[in-house]
Amino acid sequence: MNNTIKTGLLAAVVASSLGVNTALIAEDTVTLSLWHQHPEWRAKTQAILTAFESEHPGIRIELEEIAGTNYSARLNTALAAGEAPDLFGLPAGPETATAAASGYAAELTGLLDTSSLREPALEAIDNDGKVFGAPILGAYSVGLYYHRDILADLGMEPPTNQAEFMSMCAAMKDKGITPLVVPASDGIVPSFIYMMLTSSVMGADGFADLRKGNRKFTDPDMLEAARFLQEMADCMQPGAVSTPYVEGKALAAMKRGAMMPGGSADYPGYQEINPAVDLGVVPFPGVGENKPATVTGLEYIYLVNAESEHQEEAITFLNWMLQDKAQQMVVDTITMTTNRNVVPSENRILEEFVQAARVNDVRVFYELPETGSVWNVVQQNAAALLMGEMTPEDFASAAQDAVKLSD
Amino acid sequence: MSHPKPQSSFSSTYGHLWFVLPGFAFFLAVMLIPLILAVGISMTNWTGFGNDLQFVGLDNYTELLSYWPFYRAAMHNAIIFLAILLFQHTVGLYLAVLLNEKPRFMQFYRTVLFLPVIMSLVATGFIWTLMLSPNIGLINPLLQTLGLGFLAGNWLSDPDLALPAIIFVTAWNSMGWAIIIYLSGLQNIPEELKQAAAMDGANTRQIFWRVVFPQLSPAFTALTVLTFIGTFRTFDVVYVLTGPLGAPNFATDVVGTLIYRTAFGGSSFSSADIRFAFGLAMALMLMLVMAGFCYLLIRVLRSREIEA
Repeated sequence: MNNTIKTGLLAAVVASSLGVNTALIAEDTVTLSLWHQHPEWRAKTQAILTAFESEHPGIRIELEEIAGTNYSARLNTALAAGEAPDLFGLPAGPETATAAASGYAAELTGLLDTSSLREPALEAIDNDGKVFGAPILGAYSVGLYYHRDILADLGMEPPTNQAEFMSMCAAMKDKGITPLVVPASDGIVPSFIYMMLTSSVMGADGFADLRKGNRKFTDPDMLEAARFLQEMADCMQPGAVSTPYVEGKALAAMKRGAMMPGGSADYPGYQEINPAVDLGVVPFPGVGENKPATVTGLEYIYLVNAESEHQEEAITFLNWMLQDKAQQMVVDTITMTTNRNVVPSENRILEEFVQAARVNDVRVFYELPETGSVWNVVQQNAAALLMGEMTPEDFASAAQDAVKLSD
Repeated sequence: MSHPKPQSSFSSTYGHLWFVLPGFAFFLAVMLIPLILAVGISMTNWTGFGNDLQFVGLDNYTELLSYWPFYRAAMHNAIIFLAILLFQHTVGLYLAVLLNEKPRFMQFYRTVLFLPVIMSLVATGFIWTLMLSPNIGLINPLLQTLGLGFLAGNWLSDPDLALPAIIFVTAWNSMGWAIIIYLSGLQNIPEELKQAAAMDGANTRQIFWRVVFPQLSPAFTALTVLTFIGTFRTFDVVYVLTGPLGAPNFATDVVGTLIYRTAFGGSSFSSADIRFAFGLAMALMLMLVMAGFCYLLIRVLRSREIEA
């Protein structure tokens, strides 16, 4: 037998054995598709998924990251077309309730071990006694990031109220420093600011009153929140109303501004852009003399596709994610946890967020049925307010009109 | 010896339709059936989520007639169309005439001028976003270096500059089409016509306006109609440069972004404002209006064309 034939036979044997092995792996392994909307967390999310796969060799997770508003568009289309992934994330509250009512999400009541979840997280995933999703990526708070080195150089402390903020803003502008970076092109960050400002006025109890109709965005003290937001426009970077989110985040990370509103989950992104970034976190300055505030919500909770052929494996994954080990990875690398047994081991920023949220923390509007539409209205009108094309009165009035009172 | 079967009259009249069938089946599957389904859905109140929908007849269309964001967006499309049209029929035509003189390195110039057309508008739009940024962009520092600092501006956040910036990027991207279409028209004009005009004593300018330009009527028609369709379908450049809300404060919102927001939502946090069926009604209304305008444009412009 000459060498060519020998090589050919050897190659054929190797190829066929590889083929057999691949077929065996393919038969035994279940692949779950998972859609996620934070491309900047890809490496950290993948590390968690790899840990899961090493403990569950029969299950593979195929992660697809879809950024920003494209996520909702693609997911909604995929759900309607019956092409959605096995596992997908949605905001807790009205969004999850709609997916459940539409028959897109499998009911998980009694199938998840939620014993380690903190009470607010349990409340947030409860839909009239039924559970459709698991808060596997924890929660987030939004406050005010500041560059510790910039403020130290200026001999300033982070602001706690409107007067301090505006005074710092003037001083920084005099020195040629942009006080606040706000990417406002899609209206999302200004909406978070408005939530924090109104929260500083009404607090958690006032928010409960607002949902019942006993408090209004148009109340004189609440109007001041819209006024402060409008006044703040002068402190933002040039072109804030058309700055896209990615550019704003890069500007903030690269110290092109002293402060920026942001969530606990934003920190990995800042670090990725600028590993030397030296940030601190405080609650967002209060309106007038009111206490500063933060808002808190769950990261997208994960639902199992009702049409998935691998629901059992998907539930296995969700239960693994709710355990302490996975949650420790989440809290150490990505964001805040909703697991009562876990604390960040070495994450100063998350500790500062926990401290900040102790001052005056309110739930994000869009997680609640009464204020879900307020989010959209504020998002769409924020640029008009910042540009002075809408009065604070009209802005607050539009927000109030979007409130759907609870019974 | 067998004789071939004589062709039936039906076969001889309609036999060729078999050749059309594959193309028609494809057209039916990807165009007509989805269009019929779209018309059906646009007469419901479907949000795009779930199976909860009711027939609402023409309610979405009636609402659209008084829905001012649609008119605002359509107005922006119209402004983009007129500006691009003007640009293509002036700068595009001028460059085509220059290239028709067959300068040295003509292939190189032609490639460079056509390059933006084949590049992804999403990718180039993203680069333009960065270049136009007042914080990290190249345009403002470049103007300052050239002593034109007074022209530097917040290109995408000033309501007076944002739409012109969108127009500029669109013009840059689509200029190649104008050049190629006009150049092919110029190359089809017989030299004898120009020579005859010259012999009759016409100067260069007269030859161009009296002899060459009228011969370019078919190119003018084609370019005008294509520009109309292209600019009223604008979406990607606006979405990339100024976002789904057509920042600042909807100053660059076009019908494409409005339809996208209405049908798929403008926020990843809440789908409370999504109305898929209403978005479809907008898309279908736009299609109807565009079809009507295209018909009129073609009729008017064709009537002015001279026989080749």
